Amino acid sequence: MEQQNFKVKKNMWKEVKRFSSVYALIVIPVIFYIVMKYTPLWNAQIAFRDFKSVRYGIVGSPFVGMKNFSEFFHSYYFWPLIRNTLMYSFGKLLISLPLSIVLAITIYECRHRWLSKTVQTLAYLPHFLSWVIMYGILLALLAPGDGVVNDLIKLAGGKPVDFLTNSTAFPWIVILSDAWKEMGWSAIIFIAALMGIDVSLFEAAMVEGASSWQRVKYITLPSIRPVIVTVLLLKIGTIMEAGFNQIFMLYSPAVYNVGDIIDTWVYRQGLLDGRFGLATAAGLFKGVIGMLLVFTSNYFSKKVTENSLF
Amino acid sequence: MAKKQNSLKPQTSAVVKLSKADHAFSIGVDIIMAFFLIVIAIPLWSTIMLSLRPSTFIGSYLQGMVLPPWKWSFAAYRSLLGNNGFLLAFWNSVRILIGGVACALVLNIPLAYGLSVRGLPGKKWLTILIVIPYVFNVGMVPTYIMVAKFGLTNHLASVYLPVAINTYNLLIMRSFFEGIPNELRESASIDGCNEVQTLIRIILPLSKAIILTIGLFYGVNFWNNYFNPMLYLSKDYLRPLPILLRNILIGASMNEFVEARAFSDAPVEAIKAASVFMSAIPMVIAYPFIQKYFTKGTLLGSVKG
Repeated sequence: MEQQNFKVKKNMWKEVKRFSSVYALIVIPVIFYIVMKYTPLWNAQIAFRDFKSVRYGIVGSPFVGMKNFSEFFHSYYFWPLIRNTLMYSFGKLLISLPLSIVLAITIYECRHRWLSKTVQTLAYLPHFLSWVIMYGILLALLAPGDGVVNDLIKLAGGKPVDFLTNSTAFPWIVILSDAWKEMGWSAIIFIAALMGIDVSLFEAAMVEGASSWQRVKYITLPSIRPVIVTVLLLKIGTIMEAGFNQIFMLYSPAVYNVGDIIDTWVYRQGLLDGRFGLATAAGLFKGVIGMLLVFTSNYFSKKVTENSLF
Repeated sequence: MAKKQNSLKPQTSAVVKLSKADHAFSIGVDIIMAFFLIVIAIPLWSTIMLSLRPSTFIGSYLQGMVLPPWKWSFAAYRSLLGNNGFLLAFWNSVRILIGGVACALVLNIPLAYGLSVRGLPGKKWLTILIVIPYVFNVGMVPTYIMVAKFGLTNHLASVYLPVAINTYNLLIMRSFFEGIPNELRESASIDGCNEVQTLIRIILPLSKAIILTIGLFYGVNFWNNYFNPMLYLSKDYLRPLPILLRNILIGASMNEFVEARAFSDAPVEAIKAASVFMSAIPMVIAYPFIQKYFTKGTLLGSVKG
């Protein structure tokens, strides 16, 4: 028995030696990865400490237990922050997912190849623009006094709206501008799934006299259903990400009540007001919920469609 | 008789007469398509036209959108390109882009390759080690403290080093390498190649698509990043384009352009729109060249990480 163990160990060592050049290849990236990704993990303990400044160090700051967490949970902002975060992520999911599916099917069904190609190319493009650029584009569209949309409103006899500082309009601007920017990119995966459908299915349906609409309903949609389910589940796994880069760029104090999400609040509390412990506690809370969601959605995705992240 | 394929959808060979309902359907598809085309194009078009608006222009934004070419004014672009602050910011962004992409590829390619080697002892543990920080995101404050403690603040590297390995991109790359037939690696090792030689001589030439795609993803990310520079770069001379653009749009940096405006007759809105367009240009230029590759790249990631 012991001898066998020894043998396994020896083989293992041999194996390690055989792959020594692979280890040599990855040692620097692995160390880099550990330093860059695990140092923040170590630093996250300031959620349990009264951390004032980098000068005193992390371990040097007094330990305060769950004080920061309880302050966050009991703060006046807690529920509005959760509400806004979920409002944006679910709102984006509800609007963008159907839009990208419709876009993919339209691109697939369109009989004019030049039109398909043009729309496809144009629709992917905004994904590559930053939110700063998007803010500039939105200003040209939605500027309060003038701007294209307000010109249209004035033409229709309405009163111009200051969209970016109006708490009713702001959530819609966030959700719709995200849909505009990302729907083409999200459609890629559906287009690919559509290309994989067996043509003979359509031929058989045509011979049987199925109309175009029936073919979409009974062949196209069911064929891409597993992909839709996978995308939906994986998106639910990232539901705590409401889009920091976007909202941070678009919001202003006038719309904090509807615009503030956990991440923007963490930024203002932690990095502007220097309340590092409190902000880290909020970030950690979000991280734990996010992790549980990723594992859950991944589990279901694996079970339902056999597709998964890990 | 080869029929020219019109749509992405493969055309059926069955000869079936189209009914009225089918015609209505295809017209409906065209209408939805036109709707998408207009909705996507209008914001882009209105920004470009705004940047070309001369200061003598009187009228609404809607009228500005159909400004005829002989009335276009390039004054806004001239005043941006003649402005040292703008050129410096552009140059800083280029440095971040080049440094970041080089760094990212040098780190990601070997790591992704190592993780794809079959039978590597400890691979499972290594993968877990890599996935943990990806799944458990502790937020921006701990990362900020790290960058401050490492003394990276006010170095351009602070923009890209903390995000030089994006776990998702790394896993996409690994799946690609895993898809390369193992026989190729084995034959290389029989011929006496070590792993480094195999990677350089066998794997990399087969991986152009994925390297371009992942390189583009990183490049876009570094070029567009405004948050890291905002946090870590406080010196004016290090300011990259997104920060300058943000200041111009918010109005904080407009004073600098007052001088520039003395030489040009571009309206403020035109300068804002022109700087939006100029910031987007590198992405817009690179994009059509890489477009054919990235579909493949994104799909790989979605199937199995």
